[in-house]
Amino acid sequence: MKMKTIKLSVLACAALVTGLISCSEKGGNSSLPAVSKTDSIAAPFSTTKPFTYFSFKNDAIVSGTDSATTNWDFAFRFVNIIVNSHASGPGNVGVITQSGIYESFMQAPATGYGYDTTTTQLAINARDRDANAWYLYDPSVHALTPKAGKFFVFRTTDNKYVKMEILSVTTDVPFTNPIPPDTIWYKFRYAYQADGSRNF
Amino acid sequence: MLHKILNSIIVLLFFSSVSAQKSSSDSSDRVLDEIIVTGTKTENKASNLPLPIQVISSKTIQLSGSQKLIDILQMQSGLVIANNPLGTALQGYPNPFGDGIQMQGLDPAYTLILVDGEPLTGRNAGIINLGRIAIGNIKQIEILRGPATSLYGSDALAGVINIITKEPQKNTLQFQTHYASNSTLGLTAASSLKMNKVSFQVFANRYSSNGYDLDKSIYGKTVDPFIDYSFNAKMIYDIDAKNRFIISGRYFSDKQFNNYMIYPDLQPEVVKGNTIETDKSLYARLQHIVNNGLNYYTSVYATTYSNNAAVYLQKNDSLYEEIKLTQFLLKPEIQVNIGKDPSSLLVTGAGYNFETVNSTRYGSPRELDSWYLFAQKQIKWKEKTNIIIGARFDKNLLYPAQLSPKIAASYKVSSAFLIKGSIGGGFKAPDFRQQFLDFSNSLIGYSLIGARELGHGLQMLKKSGQIDNSIDINPYLNGVELSPEKSVGVNLEFDYTFQNNSVFKVNFFRNDISNLIETYNLPFSKTNNQAIYSYINVNKVFTEGAEVTFSQNFNKNFSLYAGYQYLIAKDKDVLAQIKEGKMYKRDPFTNITSLVTKQEYKGLYNRSRNTANIRLQYNNLKYNTIAFITVKFRGRYGFSGLNGFQDGNNILDDDREFVKGFTLVNTTFSKQIANRWEVQAGVENILNYTNKIQMPNIFGRSYFINCNFKLQK
Repeated sequence: MKMKTIKLSVLACAALVTGLISCSEKGGNSSLPAVSKTDSIAAPFSTTKPFTYFSFKNDAIVSGTDSATTNWDFAFRFVNIIVNSHASGPGNVGVITQSGIYESFMQAPATGYGYDTTTTQLAINARDRDANAWYLYDPSVHALTPKAGKFFVFRTTDNKYVKMEILSVTTDVPFTNPIPPDTIWYKFRYAYQADGSRNF
Repeated sequence: MLHKILNSIIVLLFFSSVSAQKSSSDSSDRVLDEIIVTGTKTENKASNLPLPIQVISSKTIQLSGSQKLIDILQMQSGLVIANNPLGTALQGYPNPFGDGIQMQGLDPAYTLILVDGEPLTGRNAGIINLGRIAIGNIKQIEILRGPATSLYGSDALAGVINIITKEPQKNTLQFQTHYASNSTLGLTAASSLKMNKVSFQVFANRYSSNGYDLDKSIYGKTVDPFIDYSFNAKMIYDIDAKNRFIISGRYFSDKQFNNYMIYPDLQPEVVKGNTIETDKSLYARLQHIVNNGLNYYTSVYATTYSNNAAVYLQKNDSLYEEIKLTQFLLKPEIQVNIGKDPSSLLVTGAGYNFETVNSTRYGSPRELDSWYLFAQKQIKWKEKTNIIIGARFDKNLLYPAQLSPKIAASYKVSSAFLIKGSIGGGFKAPDFRQQFLDFSNSLIGYSLIGARELGHGLQMLKKSGQIDNSIDINPYLNGVELSPEKSVGVNLEFDYTFQNNSVFKVNFFRNDISNLIETYNLPFSKTNNQAIYSYINVNKVFTEGAEVTFSQNFNKNFSLYAGYQYLIAKDKDVLAQIKEGKMYKRDPFTNITSLVTKQEYKGLYNRSRNTANIRLQYNNLKYNTIAFITVKFRGRYGFSGLNGFQDGNNILDDDREFVKGFTLVNTTFSKQIANRWEVQAGVENILNYTNKIQMPNIFGRSYFINCNFKLQK
């Protein structure tokens, strides 16, 4: 019976995700389980074409025409990831690159969130071979792999907490293909805590 | 009849008279006390040296029938062909790096390659193309394991491979024709002439092949067609009883015909051209005996290496890309040998390296001058103990002075049982690339700048607007001082000889390397958001293991040589991260992340834990026939990103990252016909092993036939 209630609450929270109902108040340890999703999104294989924007709240890609709004949380372009703040957008999205195991990470930190201060000093480190970069580039086979044990904790545009782990980065054809890939796929999972608490 | 006439003509040309060839069965079946140069820079008996030195004789080389040094070396225990992984992944493109030899688990860049004691220059990504050394002129190959920096300076961390070329002993004339699969043709002529005071050795070789293609689905061959020419000449002049003058020259050229496809603007375009590699050297030495206990050598070695590649678009013959590199080394040296007894010599010397490089990728021509002093004392104590103590001091303008000591000792427990131990320090100087490279990738847009060039390179990037004006580059303006990579190597060997015809050896080794130079990126990006890389001293690794060899001469006709190496090679920083619980792996199929355990970490990529080899030789004196079989097993080894497998940490910790082990079997039959003629036929890689991605240097099964002629007086 209790189980059922929780399930219903999850549904309620899911409803909140679509922005209709308010669920429970902020903080405290009695928060509801976060909503977990696994998505794969496609972006152009390019370092110059526009970013591909994403909203956690809507679990959906946001049109590039909304890039100057707070409708999105983060965006991909090749290995670069921007968050909706300062140099990248009007929002106040903060992000922490966290080391550890995603599944057993149960509470978002209260402080320590980084912002896209300038266009060359982004919150998420995407510099190849850097110890803190989020991915590995293997030049012998030209493969991009998200580093194991690294994930992100976001504070979103709507002031909710999300933990997000990129699981794989693939391309429609291998890098080594004579004609380079057209599309890059990012597979990631995230848990969105709709009640505004830091608990996952 | 025909060959008789031919013989007569040759004889008339070169000799006044001909005597019958010496009996061919006089080679000893007993354990030899070989003469070795590498351990002391003077001729010395193996029994005087407390060092792990292996000798490959010209007879072994000749019996194999092979024309390639790398084939000979890879059949030895503990030596493994190591490709640069970047060289193997460029599908269809010519591998620009070649193949090198991994020794005691260390990369090819850490083994010094010498010809007659003098270093070869011209490493590509740390690898010296061993095809530059023609097989037919080798007297013996001496392989010294463990750091030899105390005598030879930089690069000799894993050890030294010293190729000793033939010296004129008699009047000889030799020809060989070699024909093999892939239209491979080798033509060799050699002659030595010994007169009263002067003797000459000349050698010429032409070697060509059509190459081969392991992957027909990719345009272009795996190995492109090539033609090599080698010439060697040596003169020894005994001026009088006390003075000897030696002069020798080497010339090598390789022309490789490139033909591959590129995709500028996403449209396929064929480019054709060639890569020309040349290696020239001249060596002169005057040996003077002052008295019975004192002699000295003065020598000058000069060598030039160049590698020029140019490819043209097929459609309009316009130049697509040109890369040029020329390296020059001038090395005068003096060496003084003090002592009457070769087991108790004091060898000391000094020299200067004047080195320059000029490359399309280094901006202006560069110099790397250095000077050095070395001293090494041998001690024989109570007939049973041999000791070597030595040290070398190297001073280069670009990095701190290096002192490399070494101590080695052997103790004869009984007439059959010998224990040898050595410990030494080694270093590898930062190379030209790590100091001076100035390279921007046109495709992705990153920049890679040598440590010393960093300040200048960053200023140039800022000037051209590739670095944002707000970025402070001041901390880098003076460049970064790179330190040499350092090592400490320990070897402990037990030799047991029984019944005078079997030798069992086991050598335990450990090498600790610190200050490994790696690329890193600067904490800011270019305006195109791409990284700027340079070089820095970071990593620490170790290799350790044991090498076991066994040789047995069963009787006059049958001998066996077998070897096995067990190897562990790991990155100490990775081990520290595992210990601290900071190293994770993610299963790419279940997405489950976990901490990597110490047991899961298998070590550095491209190292085989197990390698083994066997060599069998059977002489049938009645039919003048020799059968020679070599077998090499290389156990499984890790390959980064194998079949797309990556578990998110770039270390070897999963069975799915291993390339399967393989076995190479070669066999050669040699038969003497008539007095001076010999025919050899062989099959290489009988099991037809191929692996087009990880081992493109191995062609499948191939066949060869040699026709040898030798005349000597």
